[in-house]
Amino acid sequence: MVMVFQNTQVLLLAAVLLAACLAKLTIRNPRAAVPEHVHGVPVPAGLRRATAGRSIRGMSVGLGLGEGVLGLALLVTSHLSVRIATMVAFAAATWVVGELRVRRPDAGCGCFGGLSSKPAGRRSVLRAMLFTAAAIASLGAPHAGLDVLRTGHARMGLVLVVELALFAALSPELSALLLPRGLPRALRRGGGGSGHRGAGQGERQDVPRGARRGVRHRPVVPCARRRSPLAETYATLYDSPAWAAHENTIASAVPLDVWREGCWRFVVFQARADGRDLEAVFAVSTSQYDRTVRAALVGPGSAERPAGAAPSGRPS
Amino acid sequence: MPVPRRRGAGRRRRREAVLGASPAPRGGSADDDRPLRVLTGTVLDASPHLLVLHAEGREQRLPLTPATKVWRGGPGGLAALRPGREAIVREAADGLGADRIWVDVRRVSGTILTRGRDTVEVDMGPHRGRVHVLLPPQALGRVLVRHPRLEPGYLFDAICVRSPGGPQAVRPGTSQPGYRADDLAAPPPTAPVPDALHGTATWFDAGQDAEEARSGWGTRGGAESRIGGAAYPAVDAEGEAGGCADAPAGCVPLPFLSLGSELAVRNECTGRTGVVPVVECGCAAALFCDRCVECGTSPRGRVVELTPAAFVGLGGELEAGCFNTVVRHGAPDEDGLGR
Repeated sequence: MVMVFQNTQVLLLAAVLLAACLAKLTIRNPRAAVPEHVHGVPVPAGLRRATAGRSIRGMSVGLGLGEGVLGLALLVTSHLSVRIATMVAFAAATWVVGELRVRRPDAGCGCFGGLSSKPAGRRSVLRAMLFTAAAIASLGAPHAGLDVLRTGHARMGLVLVVELALFAALSPELSALLLPRGLPRALRRGGGGSGHRGAGQGERQDVPRGARRGVRHRPVVPCARRRSPLAETYATLYDSPAWAAHENTIASAVPLDVWREGCWRFVVFQARADGRDLEAVFAVSTSQYDRTVRAALVGPGSAERPAGAAPSGRPS
Repeated sequence: MPVPRRRGAGRRRRREAVLGASPAPRGGSADDDRPLRVLTGTVLDASPHLLVLHAEGREQRLPLTPATKVWRGGPGGLAALRPGREAIVREAADGLGADRIWVDVRRVSGTILTRGRDTVEVDMGPHRGRVHVLLPPQALGRVLVRHPRLEPGYLFDAICVRSPGGPQAVRPGTSQPGYRADDLAAPPPTAPVPDALHGTATWFDAGQDAEEARSGWGTRGGAESRIGGAAYPAVDAEGEAGGCADAPAGCVPLPFLSLGSELAVRNECTGRTGVVPVVECGCAAALFCDRCVECGTSPRGRVVELTPAAFVGLGGELEAGCFNTVVRHGAPDEDGLGR
């Protein structure tokens, strides 16, 4: 019975390592959904830098490949070095998850790639501890994983099913698997990932247009707080139909005023039309995508011509 | 930082010409939610029944009543109203005399540069400069209770009174944030911008330019609801917008605005609302990720810093340092619509 239990641990660990490898390689971390506040307090930049490695794609892929190699090795060989490496890996994972739970209780462990975006809790720590115990138990298993599968035993199957059920019960990733994917979790909730309770329910928020449509899966910076350099504004302006329509009225290339309010940067030029001195006012969108330009000729006291919209359609 | 007059009105006119008219931020209109009248000036004379003040370019006479409270480093009496001292006077809601008078009040908030035996040097931001704050023994204990790290690199915020040697700390203006000034984590870049910004409103030691700038900021809406000015933490740094080039991102997702943009600021504790123009970059306020607990606990983050006149007019108490606030910015969205 003890041998059956030990052999089952080899299979369980191989399955978990291969699943973790698959998840890390196929499901990216939803970075926008990771809040940078702990109980409303911003995470200090130093600590954020120390834990930033989890969201680096290269590191995630490397870890996943390592887990895949270890899982395959457990299946094909019964060499003690592979078992010890597995035990060390799970012991290290237990320590990392435990530290994360204390120092970054807002962030997921990334154990299963983008599926592990929920904050690491006691369940995650307990799960890692049980895997470490299973790895220790597997040290004395006589067979490699594939050999165990070939000599399949009913009792072994029963133990494996029970262990997998326990694994599922301790895995917060299950709920992430059941949710529809495509948008960051924060946007699916209709709120932000900041954890800030600034806007009450029912109040409109500046959710980026691309994100509202659910077309782009990359996080989009809201236009109202996106840093937009002047060079980008001028490039968008000069490339727009609105500029082409009013270019001949511009009397001086030096703008009279340049300022910004929310999603728009305003550029005012001195203009002359029909023998009168006017001002050409351009409003250039600060959006990340689909920036538009609007223009109007303004007299000394009032608007001379209604505003017209002209999409420039030039993504950054 | 002098602000050209009429720029706010001109920018609003041009913005409406190109994006269309949008509802302007509105202040309170009823007696109990509009800002109170405030006078800022120099004391010329004071008697038990009358305060003579040089304010708004002329001599003003304000009746004093037994209910009038005077503050100069603490509750004081007529003796604090010496000629030559600076005073901020809030009229009573019924307009019959002065309600509260603050004398020689100052505020120093920023990053600690050096700490001496009984002084601390504070960097108040690129446009406010540096200042040495005196820490007399009777105030040091009170300051240390809420500023346990009087060390270079940490934040400092204290209510002070003017003295010949410089501002003299009287009491802490806030609880010192636990992080170093350069270790403030900004909200995620993708955090959405709410229409109404909930947080804390504080006041700053505005120069005469900022206090006088209000006369040039538009006339639409009830004139009574337009008061003072504001330093806003997210003023755009490009073009003529007026922001600081190296301003921190702050801890609240705020929309970029410019000098002359208008904010409707509501004091959640008194219910008074006023419209204030942005007259200065509030990059020092962006460093503070603190709360106000004047009436309930506000969300973290200073969303606006007001001139003393605006702060007092909305019912704030200068010695308290803050009030819980909701600020509506009215910045146009992607479709050009005001909020």
